[in-house]
Amino acid sequence: MLRVLLAKDLRRARRNPLPWLINLLIPLVITALIGLVFGGKSNSGALGRIRFALVDEDQTILSEFLRGSANQREGGKYLDPVIMEREAALREINDNKISAVLIIPTNFTRSYLTGKSGISLELIKNPAQSVHPAVMEELLGALVTGLNAIARNLQSEFPDWQEVIEGQRDYKEISRLIERAGDKLKQAEKFINPPLVIYEKDAPGARAGEGGATNSVAGVAKPAARKASPASEVFGYLLAGMAGMFLLFVANNAMTDLHRELRQRTLVRYHTLHERLSPFIASKVVFTVVVLLLSSAILIIGGGWLFGIEWRQPLAFAAVCFAYACFAAGLMAVLVALVPDERKAGALNTIVSMGLGMAGGCMFPPQSLPAFLRDHVTPLLPTHWFVDTARNLQYSGGDVAWPLALGKLLVASLLLLALAAWLFRRQFREGVRP
Amino acid sequence: MSLLRVQGLFKAFGPLRAVDSVSFEVRPGEIYGLLGPNGAGKTTSISMISGLLKPDAGEVFVAGHAFWSDPQRAKRIMGVVPQELAIYEELSGRENLEFWGRMAGLSSSDAKSRATELLEALTLTDRAKDAVKNYSGGMKRRINLGCALLHQPQLLLLDEPTVGIDPQARQNILEFITKLRASGTAILYTTHYLEEAEALCQRIGIIDHGRLLAEGTLKELQDRLGGDRLFVLEADLKDASPDSWDGFSKRFRILQKTERQLVVGAIGQRDPSECLKDLLGLPVRVENVTLKRPSLNDVFLQLTGRELRE
Repeated sequence: MLRVLLAKDLRRARRNPLPWLINLLIPLVITALIGLVFGGKSNSGALGRIRFALVDEDQTILSEFLRGSANQREGGKYLDPVIMEREAALREINDNKISAVLIIPTNFTRSYLTGKSGISLELIKNPAQSVHPAVMEELLGALVTGLNAIARNLQSEFPDWQEVIEGQRDYKEISRLIERAGDKLKQAEKFINPPLVIYEKDAPGARAGEGGATNSVAGVAKPAARKASPASEVFGYLLAGMAGMFLLFVANNAMTDLHRELRQRTLVRYHTLHERLSPFIASKVVFTVVVLLLSSAILIIGGGWLFGIEWRQPLAFAAVCFAYACFAAGLMAVLVALVPDERKAGALNTIVSMGLGMAGGCMFPPQSLPAFLRDHVTPLLPTHWFVDTARNLQYSGGDVAWPLALGKLLVASLLLLALAAWLFRRQFREGVRP
Repeated sequence: MSLLRVQGLFKAFGPLRAVDSVSFEVRPGEIYGLLGPNGAGKTTSISMISGLLKPDAGEVFVAGHAFWSDPQRAKRIMGVVPQELAIYEELSGRENLEFWGRMAGLSSSDAKSRATELLEALTLTDRAKDAVKNYSGGMKRRINLGCALLHQPQLLLLDEPTVGIDPQARQNILEFITKLRASGTAILYTTHYLEEAEALCQRIGIIDHGRLLAEGTLKELQDRLGGDRLFVLEADLKDASPDSWDGFSKRFRILQKTERQLVVGAIGQRDPSECLKDLLGLPVRVENVTLKRPSLNDVFLQLTGRELRE
């Protein structure tokens, strides 16, 4: 009988697919929008290398050093500088081909080494982009801070360096200058490394269910507990949260079918044929779970393909998705049983879904939630169990406590199903009509 | 033996007595009409008989067995056609029939062959593959009826099956129900249409405010009014008091009195011409007297003091 009931529901859903498609498209579209705002797609799934123009109007050894360092080693992973003239660079920025133009002005080196005030590097940001130009500004800020620090500590050496740059010193004197600078830097090393204050995030496996960030003061830096993929994973992070929230909406939509069965009296007709309602209710729950699994597959696989996300532990992720689908179906069955009126239930279900989604950390990282909510409410919510586990599976090592989340979600769904069946039985006995 | 026997059925919703000590029975090959206005308690009665609602008191016996001793056994014997269209609009007529056939316990092949038979009998074969949402009101009603017949129930409960459809479609359904009766099915038919009850039902129960006021064949109900004719007297009756007329209440039963009209039936076997002469001799200025056959509306009028159509 369950098979016949399921076949009927799937056939009906196929004949009227619009509500399902809308619920599936919304999270993909929102993820795409947010992802694009944060910098767009790259093949590696990262934010991509920042392409910018470097205009060297100074043409000295120091400016050549700055030019060269921009795409060496680590810098090369994230920066893609192109050396060009000012006019060409401005054309490129107008055509939205680069994120920014960094100009080293004429006499920059001379002014720097002679300690003149008011010297500057010029940065022109591309107004059509948001994140990459901002990153460039931050990087330039770091560079300026470094140059200022050098100027303060090596001021006395600068006249000699200027003569070197102007070609007035021989190699022996240059080597002595380098040696002196090296000695000064070596003396400064004990103040620089190791740092007095470090910032690190707890390993999620160690503090399951919290995932918060903490400041710690330590003399020795701990080795990183995870191998975080570069900024990449903005899409994966967002999509997991979106899935957590929108699967509730899909579940609501699927379970609204039970409202329709009540309104259209088809459940009543079924009841004239069968005393026990549980097969009918069970078929709706199974139907909802099936729809949710299909939706999860579309969201996770489709979203992964669309945004270039590589899911790291797909089997564990699928198991958690299944448990979450069971929970969502059970929750919606309870809500239908509690509020048989379809219109009232529609409003209530939306509020409940959004509330659970937001408080569970689907829309915002849990760290940004109010302290009371984050510490006392969020850890108790099944939405958080799902989203947190999904994100940890993606971003941390293999020590994620996903079986615990799976178990909690399954137990919650069983309790909800039992509650829904009891509520339905009671409603029918009392002759409640939607 | 009756296929359905209802005994002292009672259901209250708070202070409202929706069904109050209703008793009747339906025999095989009989259409029993439960006639009453909206809100009389017809649907609540059917809901209790079909097991959707549990009665506060009273018993329902299906084929001699108390319903609540084995509800599933009773449900296998009966087919229920709810007043609302309890069908899936997205599915075709055939898919609806096959689905409800499977729900009634038929195998896939039996459900298919029964659906074909019913589509033929309900003259819906041409539209069998169309989605029900594209059907006319009458066609939807026929499918709604057919969905209760897949398992060939011995007892059929029809809750106002012709509400809101055109006369032609109604006639089709009534003919179909007549054929079902001929095949031996016991049918409980609720309606507020007098004509349907008169034309279709072998026995009729008149229900109002949850109480079964009278029951019997059409003839038996008409006889309650004084035979097979009524007299309609038109006169200025504003200040008239029939009870004060000499021996009038012993000779005539008053069904209705307005300022312009008096409807009466003769008590006992009296000659119509004698009754006519009697009425013309009343102490009012009579403008007209006509004779008519008593209808179920007149019976309802006599029982409740108001017309069924009000």
